[in-house]
Amino acid sequence: MFKKIIFPIIAGAMSLASYAGIASAENIKIGFNVPLTGFAAADGQSALHGAELAVEQVNANGGVNGSMLELVVYDDQASPKEAAPLAIKMITQDEVVAGVSGSYSGATRAAATIFSENSVPYISAYAIHPDITRAGDYVFRTSFMGEVQGRAGAKLIGEMLGKKRVTMITLNNDFGISLANGFKDKAGDFGIEIISEYEYSIKDREFGAIVSKIKSENPDAIYASGYFFTAGPLVRQLRAAGINQPVVGQEGYDSQKFIEIAGDASEGVMITTSLDRDSSNPVTQSFIEGFSNKAGYPADMVGASGHTAILVLADALSRAGNTDKASLRDAIASTNLEASTGQISFNALGEVQKDVQVQVVRDGNWHHHSVVSDAVLLAPPAE
Amino acid sequence: MAYEMIVLTNMLIAILFAQSLNLITGFCGQVSLGHAAFLGIGAYTSAMLTKAGWPLAATFIPAMVVAGMIGVIVGAASLRVRHDFLAITTMGVSFLFTGIIRKQDMLGGEMGIAGIPAAYGGRVGLLLMTLCLTILFITIMIYVKRSWMGFVFESIAEDEDTAGVLGIDVRRFKLFAFVLGTAGAGLAGALYAHQVRFIGPDSFGFVESVTVLSMVIVGGIGSIWGVTIAAALLSVMPQFFQVIDDYKLLVYGLLLFFAMRFLPDGLGGLAKRFRQKRNPDRSPERSQA
Amino acid sequence: MLAIDILIQGFIQGSIYALIALGLTLVYGLLRILHVAHASLFTLGGYLGVLITNATGSLFLALILAMIVVGFVGMLSYRILYRPLLSQPPLIALIASIGIFIASEEIFRIIFGPFSISYVAAPLQNQIEILPGISMSEARIMVVLLAFVLLLGVNWLSRRTRLGIATRATVVDPDMAMSSGVNVDVIRYSIFFIGSAFAAAAGVMVSLLNNLVEPTMGAVPSYKALAIIVLGGLGSVRGALIASLLLGIIETFGTIYLDDLLDRDSIAFAFLILVLMIRPKGIFSKG
Repeated sequence: MFKKIIFPIIAGAMSLASYAGIASAENIKIGFNVPLTGFAAADGQSALHGAELAVEQVNANGGVNGSMLELVVYDDQASPKEAAPLAIKMITQDEVVAGVSGSYSGATRAAATIFSENSVPYISAYAIHPDITRAGDYVFRTSFMGEVQGRAGAKLIGEMLGKKRVTMITLNNDFGISLANGFKDKAGDFGIEIISEYEYSIKDREFGAIVSKIKSENPDAIYASGYFFTAGPLVRQLRAAGINQPVVGQEGYDSQKFIEIAGDASEGVMITTSLDRDSSNPVTQSFIEGFSNKAGYPADMVGASGHTAILVLADALSRAGNTDKASLRDAIASTNLEASTGQISFNALGEVQKDVQVQVVRDGNWHHHSVVSDAVLLAPPAE
Repeated sequence: MAYEMIVLTNMLIAILFAQSLNLITGFCGQVSLGHAAFLGIGAYTSAMLTKAGWPLAATFIPAMVVAGMIGVIVGAASLRVRHDFLAITTMGVSFLFTGIIRKQDMLGGEMGIAGIPAAYGGRVGLLLMTLCLTILFITIMIYVKRSWMGFVFESIAEDEDTAGVLGIDVRRFKLFAFVLGTAGAGLAGALYAHQVRFIGPDSFGFVESVTVLSMVIVGGIGSIWGVTIAAALLSVMPQFFQVIDDYKLLVYGLLLFFAMRFLPDGLGGLAKRFRQKRNPDRSPERSQA
Repeated sequence: MLAIDILIQGFIQGSIYALIALGLTLVYGLLRILHVAHASLFTLGGYLGVLITNATGSLFLALILAMIVVGFVGMLSYRILYRPLLSQPPLIALIASIGIFIASEEIFRIIFGPFSISYVAAPLQNQIEILPGISMSEARIMVVLLAFVLLLGVNWLSRRTRLGIATRATVVDPDMAMSSGVNVDVIRYSIFFIGSAFAAAAGVMVSLLNNLVEPTMGAVPSYKALAIIVLGGLGSVRGALIASLLLGIIETFGTIYLDDLLDRDSIAFAFLILVLMIRPKGIFSKG
């Protein structure tokens, strides 16, 4: 036990030292706010691993325009109150050329306001709140908005799987609600009848009542939003009660932990996400391998999103040719890059435009199922 | 400078918020585990109004009035339940508040309210406004404490029943403490909303209530200066602790424990003991305020 | 049929609450302290349950070991946390307890990592038909059984043993008990052992139902259990039991039929406030 406490202290000190070690005048600094303590620490750690991996990969290839990238990492505890001062600190004291959020929506939204006011580019790696990119011209998002993914879920269930009577289980937070909005928006177009909707809180792990009710309704399919730590128990309890209809989730499930928690019950569960494990894309392949080597556990969506955001920034930096913030902003806006989460380009608002990957659990691993490729359906709002 | 300014504003808002609870818990002895709800009520009221085009300064009064009105209701509840029952009732109020906000689309629901306009004069303006209001509130607190009201509050905090027997209208004074305290929290909320410029139900949860209560206790219940210092220190701690990164919350938790273990009467009590040591002849009649 | 099914689900939820709240109410009865760090012991129990089961393959062994180890940690928490603060106002102990709770969540995260841990092969997952058309996993049935066995145990202890009688005497009047030769400190250590062991049992059971333990799993019990013991009339074992079951059932029906209005926590607390306004000292207060 003593060793287990001491070791992280030393490791922590070493990682601090390593940041300091790279620090030199010509490094290009990128701010990175991420929850490393508190309730969101698990996602924060994956995002940080992904981002660090991207920086290592870029630097191993000679960096950008002859300079090395350097991450300036701050723990924001996923709290808007903490993120706002950290954003200012990154901009005014660390003088970062751009920021990346590896955090949740509230913290990202608060920091985005400040980056935008100071005309410093800011990329949200996986926060889904629709208002983030509306903070201003300098704010971009490399992951799907909740609404977009919800629409993809509707197409997957209604058209690709041909299931019409659908029950929704909605996570009660900004993530779940925006997914549900997107799903309901397009459900009618694919002939889906939503027979019921249940809401639950992010703290819930017990779904006995919802499961009993759904069993009595006997839907054709279940569209359930959540994270792996809520969806794992949920799917397990659904299957244990003998509900064997298809369960469709989204990127919140996208972790090996989901399969670990749900066990055999996870087989056949489908999700809409941005990471394709069976991709032939070399960037994705090298990410998947590099991530599990670095982190010690299999790649997940959050890690891939952190990785993608840094790669987009590195690509824009090299195309801009300098670190002037206005030209960097324009370079990001004109991105057309093959990253670990697919082909990235942005619309006028700074929202990513890319295909939605459908993954399915087979033999205890995530695998490719299909791709939802429909530029009209998946178009994010442009203002 | 911008960073120092935003940290300082955060600190001042925390002081104002902690003092507003100090009035209820410190002066009047009524424990509240749900004070963040009133911060939230003020924040939502003010944010809705400035988004509708009001200037920030004009929203202070409405934010205080709405928070104070709901404060009266909770205060009325405090007349019925006492001690630990009151603590848990106020905790319930805080959960009820976030629960209701979550389901109100008009108030942004789960999405919260984004795009709250900046204060007049930007960060400098907000800092100056916060500074003035915090000083004003502390002045009122000092006045209340030194006036005859302060003695009434003290007697209620010490023993409600005896105070009642002595002919003090305990109910009226408790309600007064709740109104003033929750209105102060509403004011802090208005400032908070324009500092962070994004508010959501999770910004005003149970954790926030616990944090502010610990500021009051660490400061020393009822001690104006102790609470001011404790709120200042505890509020900037996450920022200064960035160096120790992974151990930030661990240190914070242990600090709360050690503060209680070795300084149970808080910073205020420490100062008092220190003064007594230096002037033993002036030792006050009562050891604890 | 559906109503019965949901009622049973509520009963299971209530049994979990009862396991957690029981230890808390025993501690409160004795010391008049809101022991928030009780939830840390619940989490510790969960972690021990998963880790020992994964290492040895025996859930039974894990349950017993977790209860014993956590029982001793509970005694330690009394020694370090509460004993030095007994002469202070209860608020001081409450904040100290919250501090320890915050720190413990972080210690779990630092030692076991921020991600959840699951059973390699979760035991007791077979479905048993308990009523025609309604089946439950063995784990769920075990939760209810365990809650009742432990409750009966407490009941027997408090009525039939010297320890129980001495405890009841101490609750009523510590000074009087002390002068009649009761070693109050021994009583307090014993109660902390028993209460913490119950929290550990609850932790193991919850980890089994959800097939995961995580550093933050104590967050909900940390406040929900306080609400339950208040609802039951602070310090009353019978009250806490009935409040647990009542709350479990109300929440379970609420999540189905009130989910457009309020979330699970708000339903629980709305009920709590309502009850306290009618009976300011809980449902089972005397007088």
